Amino acid sequence: MRRWISGAVAAALTLGLAACSDPAAETSAGTTVTWPEPTTKLDGVKLTIWAAQNSNTVPKKVVEGFQAATGATVEVVTIPDPYEQSIQTKVATGDKPDLAFWQPTASMLTAINAKTNLQPLTDAPWLPKLAPDLRDITGLLDGTRYAALVTSPAVEGVYYNKEVFAANGVTAAPKNFDEMVTLAQQLKGKGVTPFHEMGADRWATQWWVQVLLADEAKKGLWERINTGKEKFTDPAVLGAIKKYQELINAGLFNADIKTAKFEDQGAALLDGKAAMVVQVNSFFGQLQAKADTATLDSKVGFFPISESGNVGTFIPDQSNALVAFKTGDAKREAAARQLLAYWMGPGYSDFVTDRKTVSLQSAVPNPPGVPQALLDVHAALPAAAGSMQALAVANPDLYINLADMIAGTMTPEQVAQATQDQFAQLAKAAGATGF
Amino acid sequence: MPTAVDTPVPDRTLPRPPSAGAGRSATRAITRRTHPLWFLAPAFAILLVFFFLPTLFNFIYAFTDWSGFKAAINPVGFDNFTDLASNGTLFRALRITIVYAVLVAVFQNLFGFLLAVLLERDTRLNRLARVFFLIPVLMSALAVGYVFQALLKPDGGLNALIGTVLSRPFDYGWLADNTWTIVVVALIHSWKWMGLSMLIYLAGLKTIPDDVIEAARIDGATRWRTFWAIRSPLLAPAVTFNVATALLGSMNGFDIVQATTGGGPARTTEILNIFIYRTFGQGLFAQATTMSLILFLLVALMAFPVIHLLRKREEVLS
Repeated sequence: MRRWISGAVAAALTLGLAACSDPAAETSAGTTVTWPEPTTKLDGVKLTIWAAQNSNTVPKKVVEGFQAATGATVEVVTIPDPYEQSIQTKVATGDKPDLAFWQPTASMLTAINAKTNLQPLTDAPWLPKLAPDLRDITGLLDGTRYAALVTSPAVEGVYYNKEVFAANGVTAAPKNFDEMVTLAQQLKGKGVTPFHEMGADRWATQWWVQVLLADEAKKGLWERINTGKEKFTDPAVLGAIKKYQELINAGLFNADIKTAKFEDQGAALLDGKAAMVVQVNSFFGQLQAKADTATLDSKVGFFPISESGNVGTFIPDQSNALVAFKTGDAKREAAARQLLAYWMGPGYSDFVTDRKTVSLQSAVPNPPGVPQALLDVHAALPAAAGSMQALAVANPDLYINLADMIAGTMTPEQVAQATQDQFAQLAKAAGATGF
Repeated sequence: MPTAVDTPVPDRTLPRPPSAGAGRSATRAITRRTHPLWFLAPAFAILLVFFFLPTLFNFIYAFTDWSGFKAAINPVGFDNFTDLASNGTLFRALRITIVYAVLVAVFQNLFGFLLAVLLERDTRLNRLARVFFLIPVLMSALAVGYVFQALLKPDGGLNALIGTVLSRPFDYGWLADNTWTIVVVALIHSWKWMGLSMLIYLAGLKTIPDDVIEAARIDGATRWRTFWAIRSPLLAPAVTFNVATALLGSMNGFDIVQATTGGGPARTTEILNIFIYRTFGQGLFAQATTMSLILFLLVALMAFPVIHLLRKREEVLS
């Protein structure tokens, strides 16, 4: 009896050990990628797309068109927020969709272990049709393409209330960061809240620091940080953090900066309670949910900003791109590539019209009804500098530390140190040299 | 209809007449036959897969570089531990976890004890009240968290109520205070679990023999004196169980804090499990495992002295 039990225990332990080893085991890559015709029949094939709460309606039109054209079934599954964390956890345990919305930056492609988990999208048929300066802007990791950009990548810049500017005699947008600060001080003198920040929802706090780093980013700041030659605690980044704090201490932000949320920010800009907001495209998405294009065109404008001039900082996000997973089922993998080819091919015109979004393809014109601010954002793209998310090998929680600084529990030095420590930890885990 | 009465009953369940010398081995043989050891196998298999193996892997992965970034898992020795030790975040999270656990242990036992004393008599009303106080125990912790989050928002129900009473607008951010939010969250946690403490204290109160109380009364003790000198010392086993489960259970807390504050404001309620969750979500699986190993060791280290101390109090009973 005792021998029987110890035998069972040993067997169960071995079984358990095997079951608990990393399910995302390495598979060989490097075969050439074939691209099926976008409308080849796919009867009986079922594809799954993972999307976040703010991107699950994006593929609606494409899915309808693809299902009608090929006979395939496509299911869009909403993964709850925090989206990236949820997906990484699922993929780590071996659960994969056919396609998923994913931030197409090198750091986030590393974070999902693209080389093992994702299909390379080499020689995708839609690439020649993309506007040349957007073709290789993102989606690449070590020279291999893993993500398909479907919408115009987000840009960090300043959204402003045109009516507030006009009422205070401001006729032209500031030409650089210092001009913007001078303008803010003038507005404050007239009793207007110049800037709005959402300290409670935290994530937008990092845009200020990144915008201040745009010029440095163009001079290779992130390459130096990636190789450990420069740190967040060095003057460039620390200086930006300190400047952000100075602006807050100077009273240029909303009084409820510590408790304000994303929703409050949109309402504040639209109602003219604040003149300017440094934000990205998803903020404008919120405004679009609150007002129609005509109202937005008359009320809200956009200008990119950096220390030296009107330079934006681009940050492709999860709603801009899709990745295709290696599921091990060749038929479904090919179908997933076919869906992308359909999306960026025959389905693209319907897609941009449905989404009222800027077209990435020269041959597909912008649909009517795209707000002017979005066109301005898109126009800022070619000259834009890369954000931390776009260029750094890892994506530390800079925004959480900055929000803590706003709440008064961290100094700028502590913010820089905590961010650097975490960056080093992530970079080491990602196998970057120098850490 | 044939009944079981007519069928001959096998005699193996009947006690055999004791015979000198053979008595012990006979009982053993009976146990063997009626409860064979392999009956344990299903329970043991579940225990193995869901408790022993994960704990074992908790130890193994803490010494590797397992991450979401690559497929290979290599041993790295004590790297994860030294990294964490050099990083202040871990110690802050540990401190917050212990503060939280102690607060919960105090509040939960206080509330549970008061409820038990209040509802001790078996009246119809008391029985109904006990059921109502037990309902939160059965509720999903996340649901409890979200309900309280909605109630405690600056424009939530509680502030509206206070505003009506004071007849002026009241918009205190109950979950936005860097110092007091942890107390608020600990109170919510205690509210959810106080029904369980109440039940155990009630059971403790019921087991106190009537003759002891009667003797005290005959000796002329007041009700107050009886309560403090007789009844509360006799509750020692219940206190041991309640304090230990509340303290150690809330060390492993996650759901209520995640639903109410998510660790905020400014990470003042970021207990270790939330920190672990955040680290895991970034793909740093090995580091997250190391932290959970540290939590495991901390809970074990705290469990022994606490239970030992409380057991000492029980010695008055023997």
